[in-house]
Amino acid sequence: MTEWKNSILAHPEKIAVPVMTYPGLQLIGKSVMDMVTIGEVQYHCVKALSAKYPAIGATTLIMDLSVEAEAFGSLINFSENEIPTVSKRLIDSFEQVVNLKIPAIGDGRTKSHLTAARLAADNNTALQVFGGIIGPYSLAGRLYDITEMMTAILIEPEGAHDLLNICTSFLKEYALAFKKAGCNGIVIAEPAAGLLADYQCEEFSSRYVKQIVDFVQDDNFMVVLHNCGNTVSLVESMLGTGAAGFHFGNAVDMCEILPQVPSNRLVFGNLDPAGVIKNGSPEIIKVKTKELLTRTSQYNNFVISSGCDIPPGTKIENIDAFFEAIAEYNKG
Amino acid sequence: MNEIIEKLTTCIEFGKINQKSPFPPSMRGEVGADELTRQALEAGIKPVEILEQGLIPGMNAVGLKFSQGKVFVPEMLMAAKAMSMALVHLKPYFMSGEVKRKGTFIIGTVFGDLHDIGKNLVAMTVEGAGWEVIDLGVDVKTESFLDTLEKYPNCAVGISALLTTTMGNMESVVKLVKEKYPLTKVLVGGAPLNTEFSNKIGADFYSRDPQGAVAYLNNLQNC
Ligand code: B1M
Repeated sequence: MTEWKNSILAHPEKIAVPVMTYPGLQLIGKSVMDMVTIGEVQYHCVKALSAKYPAIGATTLIMDLSVEAEAFGSLINFSENEIPTVSKRLIDSFEQVVNLKIPAIGDGRTKSHLTAARLAADNNTALQVFGGIIGPYSLAGRLYDITEMMTAILIEPEGAHDLLNICTSFLKEYALAFKKAGCNGIVIAEPAAGLLADYQCEEFSSRYVKQIVDFVQDDNFMVVLHNCGNTVSLVESMLGTGAAGFHFGNAVDMCEILPQVPSNRLVFGNLDPAGVIKNGSPEIIKVKTKELLTRTSQYNNFVISSGCDIPPGTKIENIDAFFEAIAEYNKG
Repeated sequence: MNEIIEKLTTCIEFGKINQKSPFPPSMRGEVGADELTRQALEAGIKPVEILEQGLIPGMNAVGLKFSQGKVFVPEMLMAAKAMSMALVHLKPYFMSGEVKRKGTFIIGTVFGDLHDIGKNLVAMTVEGAGWEVIDLGVDVKTESFLDTLEKYPNCAVGISALLTTTMGNMESVVKLVKEKYPLTKVLVGGAPLNTEFSNKIGADFYSRDPQGAVAYLNNLQNC
């Protein structure tokens, strides 16, 4: 992993690591439901994408923000072509935290996601394979209700910490399971922390993310922290987690982020996955991709990516345009 | 201005719900919106004054700080909670007709979409501005909007969406609402929307924040 990072830092040529699994469904003729429930389908999706786009710098597995809550016992809404979602809060008071059972690795659909990870790693779908897990604060929000978790940090901070501790205990083991499955790293998606002030993000998110980083990150396994909020003032707190890479959503201008990050840490971002990559025309995607590469050209630690998961239903010609633009940019 | 009302405004602005609440730390142990609203009523202050001179200015102040990035979602939600607490005491006066509600506002997040933080803020702010709010929650199907409209035919409707993939669903909701209730005003909002989109789907107004929603609704009332 350190080697991969160093090679990125050493070469001015740009690689791309879009957060992309769903577009593979069209290549193999499967549904979102198949993808989120059957590990082999997820693997075949990323394999098909890597075969079609050899320029992919790393395979990212699904960013499924419901699988961990489901493992804790939350009810999930599934539908054939939509991303699964948590249907209601699991606990409505922090007293109930003691009753929460930390899930075993393999519970619920974690098993299917780990199967996809193992298959992708064993078969070298790309140079690197990243698993995906939710962040501690976002998971706590899924279990306790995100709106309630927003105010709980102010009125019941001890309870919030109790829940965050339980969430983190599980996430550490889940992250480790991706490492054992052979992945080269994980992306931790922590979207809800993007709504906090810097000191709140520090106390209720970064501190816990750091525990996961300390538990799994080493020279062969990299943690990338994703936050799609307005993170300009959160960068310092994110850096404090010790993660080797940071992934930003399209709510920010990368030129306000990059100067804040030391040049030995990777920074991924941030083409609008819905507005540009899904709904834009191939021409617009090319323009936006090249524009972002040009604006960030002085930063060797910048890796172009989508700002978040590329949504189901995104046309393959749009993904083609993204990779074409990068190839054209690299040719100069 | 009355001292109780001034304190109440501060409690709303800083999200001080009641004496028990530890937030904000600088007001720990002090009475909050709960106690002050009761005190105001006991002191004979008219409910309408409590609403207009106490609660609304407090929400406006915190709303301004939120839009300037000086406070964040947690503080904004605390202010809304403090206001909801105050409204509990004013509810009987609304029910009895002593204080007239400005109107009824039905709000929900469009079907397919489960984001509700922004929608909740709009609902609470509009309620605090003197409207009766019927919050249909998230993933609200068109029929649910129509069924509620049947019960409250003169109300305004608000729809929120946070996903580019679900904002398109608003079009069918607006179309069916307008077909059945042509006079109903429909207001839309949510991060990926803009006025152009709102016009395109036939909505009456796009608001980028809760304050804009309140201003539009209050203006309707004056028409
Ligand atoms: C009626 O009149 C009005 C008037 C004004 C109105 C109004 C109505 N409604 C809102 N307003 C306005 O007033 C409010 C106050 O100023 C404002 O409301 P907002 O809602 O805009 O602002 C809120 C106060 C704060 N903002 C928010 O609450 C959204 C924050 C972010 C981080 C976010 C969150 C928290 C979540 N998410 Co989601 N999420 C993201 C967001 C990224 C970001 N940083 O914005 C966004 C919105 N999510 C996204 C995605 C893709 C998804 N999310 C999903 C899930 C979730 C969580 C459950 C984890 C959680 C939601 C919890 C909840 N109960 O709401 C999934 C979808 C679930 C579903 N079917 O809805 C999922 C598909 C992710 C996945 N792979 O599963 C992206 C949408 C992209 C797009 N444009 O389509 C996203 C922008 C992140 C990104 N960068 O890609 C104004 O817009």
